[in-house]
Amino acid sequence: MMSEGGPRVLVVDDEPAIRRFLHASLSAHGYNVFEAINGQEGLVAVTNCRPDLVILDLGLPDISGIEITRRLREWTSVPIIIVTVQEQESAKIAALDAGADDYVTKPFGMGELLARMRASLRRAASPTAEPVFSTGQLTVDLGQRLVTVAGREVQLTPTEYDLLRTLVTHAGKVLTHRQLLRQVWGAGYEGEAHLLRVNMSNLRHKLEPDAARPSFILTEPGVGYRLRVASE
Amino acid sequence: MPLLPPLQRPWQRYLRSVLLVGVTSLLSVPVHRFVSPSNLVMLYLAAVVIAAIYLGRGPAALTAVLGVLAFDFFFVQPRLSFTVANSEYLLTFLGLLIVGLVISTLAARSREQADAARRREAQAVALYELSRDLASASDLDDILHVVVRHVGETFGREAGILLAAGDTLQTRSLSPGFALDEDEMAVAAWAFEEGQPAGRGTDTLADTAVCFMPLRTARGVLGVLGVQSIEPGVHLRSEQSRLLEVFASQAALAIERAEFAEQAREAQLARAADELQRALLNSVSHDLRTPLVSITGTLSSLEEDGACQGDPVQRSLITMAREEAERLNGLVGNLLDMTRIEAGALKATEEPCDIQEVINAALDRLGDRLVGRAVAIDTAELLVPMDFVLMVQVLVNLLDNALKYSPPATPIGVAARDVGGALEISVLDRGCGVPPDELTRIFDKFYRVHPSTGAGGTGLGLAICKGIVEAHHGRIWAENRPGGGTIVTVALPQEPPAPAAGSAA
Repeated sequence: MMSEGGPRVLVVDDEPAIRRFLHASLSAHGYNVFEAINGQEGLVAVTNCRPDLVILDLGLPDISGIEITRRLREWTSVPIIIVTVQEQESAKIAALDAGADDYVTKPFGMGELLARMRASLRRAASPTAEPVFSTGQLTVDLGQRLVTVAGREVQLTPTEYDLLRTLVTHAGKVLTHRQLLRQVWGAGYEGEAHLLRVNMSNLRHKLEPDAARPSFILTEPGVGYRLRVASE
Repeated sequence: MPLLPPLQRPWQRYLRSVLLVGVTSLLSVPVHRFVSPSNLVMLYLAAVVIAAIYLGRGPAALTAVLGVLAFDFFFVQPRLSFTVANSEYLLTFLGLLIVGLVISTLAARSREQADAARRREAQAVALYELSRDLASASDLDDILHVVVRHVGETFGREAGILLAAGDTLQTRSLSPGFALDEDEMAVAAWAFEEGQPAGRGTDTLADTAVCFMPLRTARGVLGVLGVQSIEPGVHLRSEQSRLLEVFASQAALAIERAEFAEQAREAQLARAADELQRALLNSVSHDLRTPLVSITGTLSSLEEDGACQGDPVQRSLITMAREEAERLNGLVGNLLDMTRIEAGALKATEEPCDIQEVINAALDRLGDRLVGRAVAIDTAELLVPMDFVLMVQVLVNLLDNALKYSPPATPIGVAARDVGGALEISVLDRGCGVPPDELTRIFDKFYRVHPSTGAGGTGLGLAICKGIVEAHHGRIWAENRPGGGTIVTVALPQEPPAPAAGSAA
């Protein structure tokens, strides 16, 4: 859905200064930028401007970012990157649970934001995962249920494999603890954080060259995990 | 029904019964010519009934006996003599005597019952009035005042209420002219501690002038009610002391209700203050951060832009400006965190975390600053309940200090281990150490060991660590490392065995 002016980005933020610098920087990087000054306007703008990506501030004065994410996810899968401050930890996780794709924490550098945007746009462009995924020395063949590190096959338990597969199908995206627990263990297990920690630790021991300094499965502090993609 | 004054002396009542027999005999004199003596007896019976109703049991019995004698003396042949010619009259005497005595007993009993009913009614009215006034009392002082006034009115006694304040009793309300001396206070304290009545008229310490009733509810004893007779020597009747007990329990319930209402009001106030504080902090945080977001974003955008790539001076100036903006952001964050800790608004959401992940996240946050430093990590995999984000911040602050206060070439260590049910995380450096007498003061707000070295910082880092660790109910301390350097250790209590393994499928 890209127009000639490059990918269309909607910035929803109530601070004029932040909108201005985002507009200038993103335009300079070839994005076609639209602005909305509050949640209500943002919801309308998503329908009218048909953006390829939404940058959503969590601290809007009228509607909470979580609620906007929820309402958007009722009808569109447009990538949503939320912008938070450190104090909004729980709101950030709630927004990711509600379906936001990624987040940046204020204050953020443009390099970081641009990288996140590129990754989200790429995922949106090819929504179905490749049958064979590889990052660094790790290769996962989803068709054959085959996992190799540096060409050597790794034996995983069914739960560990499910966990890895979930990460692979959302490679590059932050998955919250709740999302992982729901997808791998089922709807009743969202509170069982220790299940995830134990299996994640075992999985890392089998995959990572140095489990203490993981290079494939990255920890998002307090939020969840993310599988590194090759270009990062 | 006309009543004789209740406090009529007994001998007056007996005198009246004698008079009553005399009057009956006088009335009978004109009548006895027309009726037979056996019918004349009815007049004496009427006299007995009147005596029973109005004079009580004893005078009625006396009336019956005197009536028999008078009837015999004046109206039975031979008259004016106690001898009886016709022995048939002996039966009449016996009948008159028995009927007189029975009627006197019955009448007296009904009179006593009427009296008791009246007293019960008076008690019920007193209780009703107490409850009504307690229900309309608006606060604790009102309630205490109502109780003291009602005890005074109902029992004609001085009253006072002592309520528990912590472990001691405090005099809260006294009727005028009532004072408690030291001995009486001791008796009150006994009644309060044991939850038993004490003092005058009870089994315990009865030689005191005051009687103390515990104010007891399901929750425990709230205080005591003290009662003292205005006229010495007048004791409460048993049904009166029962009523006093009922008064005490009514008072206790009302006081408890007032205390609950007070607590609810305080809790509501605290909640409102809490919310206001949170809203204020969030708004200050937002207002301070927003300009920093634009500044950092703009500078980083310029940095990556091709515009000044040709000019290394401009580029380094922009980089420096961006780094300073980030430092300012860190300082703002520290100040806000400190404010939050001091306001008690910092809450640790503890859930099982892998300590390795916490250490990794902290090392990631420091990023480039660790380049060229040897970091030795010595940890096992330990799942310990903690707030991930907050503990990462503690480690970041500790590592930041270690970096700042040790020479660039020296190694830094992070160690985590399980020490008797507590998790101990230590950050070790080979820096200049801390003078022994300052090892605890470095955790104070704005305290810096070497202010002159210009190593930067606000002196808040360790104070924030302390605040966060204490929110986890843990401990933090510093010691000098053998061979030079500092060790800062955080100890977090571990919950009884975390349900870790076993569920690994």
